[in-house]
Amino acid sequence: MATGAPRPPNRARGYSAAVGFYRIMRSNPLSFAGFVLVVAILVLAAASTLDPRLVAPYGASQQTGVYSEPPTILRGSPSLQHPFGTDGGSLDIYSEVMLGLPLDVGIGVLIAGLAMILGGLLGLVAGFWDRPGTVGGYASTVILRTTDVFLAFPSLILGLAIVAALGPGVWQVILAVTATWWPYYVRLVRGEVLAIRHLPYVVAARAAGVSEGRILVRHILRNVLEPLIVYFTLDIGTVLVTFSTISYVIPQGIPYPPTFGRPEWGSMMSYYYGNTLFSQAWWSIIFPAVAIFVTALSFSLLGEGLRDVLDPRMRRALTESTVGHTPPAETPSSPVPGPLSEAG
Amino acid sequence: MTDPVLSIEHLSVDYLVAAGRFRAVSDVSLTIPPGRVVGIVGETGCGKSTLAQAIPRLIPEPPAKIESGRILFQGTDLVPIPHHKLPMVRGTGIGMIFQEPLNSLNPAFRVFDQVAEAIQIRHWREQGILPTFRPGPTPFDYSRRPMPTASDVLAKPLVPGGAVAEAAQRRLRTRADFRREVLEYLRLVRINDPETILDLYPHELSGGMRQRIMIAMALSAKPALLIADEPTSALDVTIQAQVLTLMKELIDEVHSSILFISHDLGVIAETADDLGVMYAGRLVEFGPVADVFHAPRHPYTKALLRSIPSRYKTDGPLASIPGSVPSLARPPPGCRFHPRCPLVRPVCRADPAPELLPAPGGAPPGATPHTSACHFAEEVSNLP
Repeated sequence: MATGAPRPPNRARGYSAAVGFYRIMRSNPLSFAGFVLVVAILVLAAASTLDPRLVAPYGASQQTGVYSEPPTILRGSPSLQHPFGTDGGSLDIYSEVMLGLPLDVGIGVLIAGLAMILGGLLGLVAGFWDRPGTVGGYASTVILRTTDVFLAFPSLILGLAIVAALGPGVWQVILAVTATWWPYYVRLVRGEVLAIRHLPYVVAARAAGVSEGRILVRHILRNVLEPLIVYFTLDIGTVLVTFSTISYVIPQGIPYPPTFGRPEWGSMMSYYYGNTLFSQAWWSIIFPAVAIFVTALSFSLLGEGLRDVLDPRMRRALTESTVGHTPPAETPSSPVPGPLSEAG
Repeated sequence: MTDPVLSIEHLSVDYLVAAGRFRAVSDVSLTIPPGRVVGIVGETGCGKSTLAQAIPRLIPEPPAKIESGRILFQGTDLVPIPHHKLPMVRGTGIGMIFQEPLNSLNPAFRVFDQVAEAIQIRHWREQGILPTFRPGPTPFDYSRRPMPTASDVLAKPLVPGGAVAEAAQRRLRTRADFRREVLEYLRLVRINDPETILDLYPHELSGGMRQRIMIAMALSAKPALLIADEPTSALDVTIQAQVLTLMKELIDEVHSSILFISHDLGVIAETADDLGVMYAGRLVEFGPVADVFHAPRHPYTKALLRSIPSRYKTDGPLASIPGSVPSLARPPPGCRFHPRCPLVRPVCRADPAPELLPAPGGAPPGATPHTSACHFAEEVSNLP
């Protein structure tokens, strides 16, 4: 990266934003690891969606269309050919885990996203229009009391109960987890809105004649967005764990091996736990669990890094230190130690 | 004499909170002629800020409530306007500068976007895109509106063309247009190197710089009345002087009336033409600045002036007013200053409170009369 020269004036804003993002990510090794892992997970998931044979060389026929090459070693421990081992039937655990990747990541993003949108909108209403005695005041009371009711149950137990009531199926489990997940976002967004609503810049915008809708979007939502996105990213891992737990506890919720579609990691663990001995085929149980762990961990690490990226103070401090008008010395004997100087 | 920009008549504002009813502003009448700077001074909690925020109806209602009185802005009474119409009223001629420059700018946007928003809103209003409040005797009668016939609807093109499209084209302002106008306002508030400042976030600016930007935003709406609510109180003394100098220069350049609220008598003496003194929610004295400073007609004003630390008096304790400001929930009967007043007589303790009365002899034509709410205004000059 060329440093020392001032930033070219007519370079696109998007370019410098991307550079800034990369720099901040690099400044913290843990969040950089999370960033790399999430990118890798997303690339693998995309590949697995486009053509399962790219990442799942021994995928079963119901996913890949054909057996690329059915495993010849039955119940084999991890080897070079089958890195995660094979099960007693005709399945390669590595291929199964890779086939399940887009489903599990997609479910995590979908549930957290639905909860964020639903809970966020309700929280915005409950925070912004809570003047008692008005329609908004009654609406926010209803929203908050409903939230309290949902929060009174542990979300895992409530999710299990809803799945039990709705019956088996991927969409039923998604619905159940979403139903237990939105109240946290109501609380988060409402708290942020209440804090921002009386700040002088909101009052100043109101004094300038900015309409309430514009204030809500431009001055309040815009400033809630940052904690919201961070929380959402951190949440994807938690959702994934909860979802897998539900499908582990209720194996008939998402059947394994799937009759069609993709395997789900939680149900996969459940199946092998029920049908093989841990001491004889530990790999078939451990590797789906490791996949859940790594995915959840990557999103959490990324979320921590995003917190820094989205804070304008942090952003400027970290990006301008190398690309700004007064670049510090880039020599190894730099007076500025640490990640800032090595980011170049 | 021209019509006043703002005239407040017998305004009372209450705060209804769990602890009771606090009358923060009681029975205040005030007139601001065009092009004049009116200062309001008073101690903390005397209702200055409530008054400032009540004028554009900015105080949150509830807990605050405008009990009675009228706020006539350019002849329109702002008090009876319903809540949903307030965004149309605000920003149509009343600008505000706030006390805390630290939080007065949205941290998520660059300076350019913030000032451009204020300009954008003014343009929308000028072009009639944003509804503007026009006081009228009757609301619009929808029954008299002719219903379009089917052929009208069918004949109307789906995509506007011709003159309509051209007008829309003209309304579209490019970023460069905005940039030029924002730069103009930043130069107006004496910001050096406005090109750089444009692309900075608020947290990268100093307090004085943010306050200048706030002033630029308020001025970009081209207000007829600018309300400055302690604009210099949160700044340190050198920056205070800079901002004050700027405001004094701007007073001569922009021809708006200004309501300048401060607890600092020195600041008011520098800027204002007329001065109002508030005590415990009441206006106790009002008149031209020079008159109020040199010949105060209320013991409270006299005491305030006496408490200004003087650089020539170096020995002895600082002068102060004995006692403390009364609770607004249970103000003393009669004149609210009587428990602390050196001139107190039995008549001061009796209701009703004294009214603002002009000094005998009257004011020269065209000048603001010097009024005070004291039974013994003549004796104030004898006080130490």
